[in-house]
Amino acid sequence: MGIIATSRLKSPWIMHFDNSSCNGCDIEVLASLTPLYDIERFGIVNMGNPKHTDVLVVTGPVNRRTARVLKNLYDQIADPKMVIAVGTCSISGGVFHNCYNVLGGVDKVVPVDVYVPGCAARPEAIIDGVVMALQKLAKLQGVAL
Amino acid sequence: MAPRTITPFGPQHPVLPEPIQLKLTLEDEKVVDVLPAIGYGHRGIEKACELNEYPKNIYLCERICGICSAIHGMTYCDVVEKLWPLEIPPRAKYLRTIWAEMSRTHSHLLWLGLAVDALGFESMFMQYWRIREKVLDILEMTAGHRVTQSVAVVGGVRRDIDDDQKKHCIEVLKDVRKEAEALNNVLVNDYTVKARTVGKGVLSYDQAIALGCCGPHLRASGVKEDCRQLGYWAYGDLSFEPITAPGGDTYSRVAVRCGELLQAIDLQLEAFAKMPEGDIAAKPKGSPPANEAATRIEQPRGELFYYAKGNGTRNLERLRVRTPTYANIPSLLVMLPGCEMADVAIIVLSIDPCISCTER
Amino acid sequence: MIDKLKEISKDQLLAEVKKYADSKAKFVTGSCNDLGDKLEVTYYFNASPGMDMSALRFVVGKGEEVPSMTGIYLTAVLIENEMKELFGLKVKDLAIDFGGHMMLAQDSPVLPMLKSEDQKAAAQKGGK
Repeated sequence: MGIIATSRLKSPWIMHFDNSSCNGCDIEVLASLTPLYDIERFGIVNMGNPKHTDVLVVTGPVNRRTARVLKNLYDQIADPKMVIAVGTCSISGGVFHNCYNVLGGVDKVVPVDVYVPGCAARPEAIIDGVVMALQKLAKLQGVAL
Repeated sequence: MAPRTITPFGPQHPVLPEPIQLKLTLEDEKVVDVLPAIGYGHRGIEKACELNEYPKNIYLCERICGICSAIHGMTYCDVVEKLWPLEIPPRAKYLRTIWAEMSRTHSHLLWLGLAVDALGFESMFMQYWRIREKVLDILEMTAGHRVTQSVAVVGGVRRDIDDDQKKHCIEVLKDVRKEAEALNNVLVNDYTVKARTVGKGVLSYDQAIALGCCGPHLRASGVKEDCRQLGYWAYGDLSFEPITAPGGDTYSRVAVRCGELLQAIDLQLEAFAKMPEGDIAAKPKGSPPANEAATRIEQPRGELFYYAKGNGTRNLERLRVRTPTYANIPSLLVMLPGCEMADVAIIVLSIDPCISCTER
Repeated sequence: MIDKLKEISKDQLLAEVKKYADSKAKFVTGSCNDLGDKLEVTYYFNASPGMDMSALRFVVGKGEEVPSMTGIYLTAVLIENEMKELFGLKVKDLAIDFGGHMMLAQDSPVLPMLKSEDQKAAAQKGGK
């Protein structure tokens, strides 16, 4: 069990990207950083730089303009990486399914590891989603969480 | 003349939770020109509203914006009611007012948090968001969800607030008011906050009107204009006076929102005290007739404009939504040139941009 | 019904808008409707200070050029670009022209807000 693999699990850095969501899930992602939920107690730190990132948190449906941006960000993240789709519309397009500029869920563009349902997803669910992603990462690396 | 460079700001930027891009032309550190590039959040909601049956559009309109979602839903219902026209019961008017002001409370707390975070004042960001959670708790208790309240139906509201809930709401609101007041006092008197905001991103009275700004942004330039003066819903019965500030700079915008935060709580307390008993929804007859209507409602960020055209079927012929940020973005063309690169973030935030609203 | 709506022709537009600008009115927004072979454009203004809203409306054929009011109200630049892009309203002399890609991406549908054949048929049929 290498020190890098352990540290990645004990302090994963996340990056949040808003496709074209309604903002509801975005503020819930932010709310999970604030004192009541305090996601930082799991060592999770919010980052702005894709190259520092272990976990990509994506909210909102993919539209025709953000599809390229999302792919770009995903490609810049170093392996091993996890993608979490937060909110119903990032899973399937949800309420925006019949909007002309919407392509659908995040998995139309990048592979998704964990789906967090809810409209908007609750902070508890988001934290749970990040922990599930870490369990998957642990299995992938062959180390205990 | 120093050499010019064009720097993109966004679409993925740490201070902005949402995607917007500004193309800044810089001379060394000074911004000389700016071009906003929007469209990252465009989904096509107006078209989808023509394809859905009219009661379903409430859920779609609520998801135009997740921060003021309750007000979007209620404004949609308001404009559709105007097509008949359909009068809603007095208690529903009060309930809509209460939920609208509750949304304003949490939205202003959210903005104050983000703004102080952009100034590097992280502990205060946490404080504002900590008390915001209390408001979200009473929203969840009364409406059933923290973010997407979904309280409006065409003809009134979906839920009532009973006496126990009312008592609890008043308790929490008084508590939030006390804490918010203490934080606001620190914020508007802080030396560093003043140094970062006074005289930054100035927009004069005349410019604010010529550029069609709205909301707290407009009132911070000294214009006494607020859609709540129209007296829709219960606002006509409440003692309401728009809050303004004379400076037109980022500091004035902070001060106006600090004032409106406390005012929103006072309006809720007053509405709770005056709320009459009675029905909470009127039943609409048939489909919206072939008619058109426009309505304007004050959202936390400013004036929200809805236009609807019915054609006698279950579907609307046309729905147009103009959100406050749509009106406020052009003012960036005036406010940003002349400022320094490091101040761009707080000046952009000072209009309280809501991109998902703007692009629908 | 829209209150204080004034029907004009597109040639009168700039003169009427100038009157609003001279009286220091605030530009609220515009909206466009697809009427089949014509487009109906409405601009809303707000007397300032105060909350008194009035509107100007004109109807043009699809493909007809209309003047831009961005020379008088710069803030109309977003809505005029949007109508150009989503409805195909030919606005000339825009102060900032986003070239049809303000809202839409390169591979988005073209003129998406125009009524589809299905929509027209459904509106014709009426019903509950």
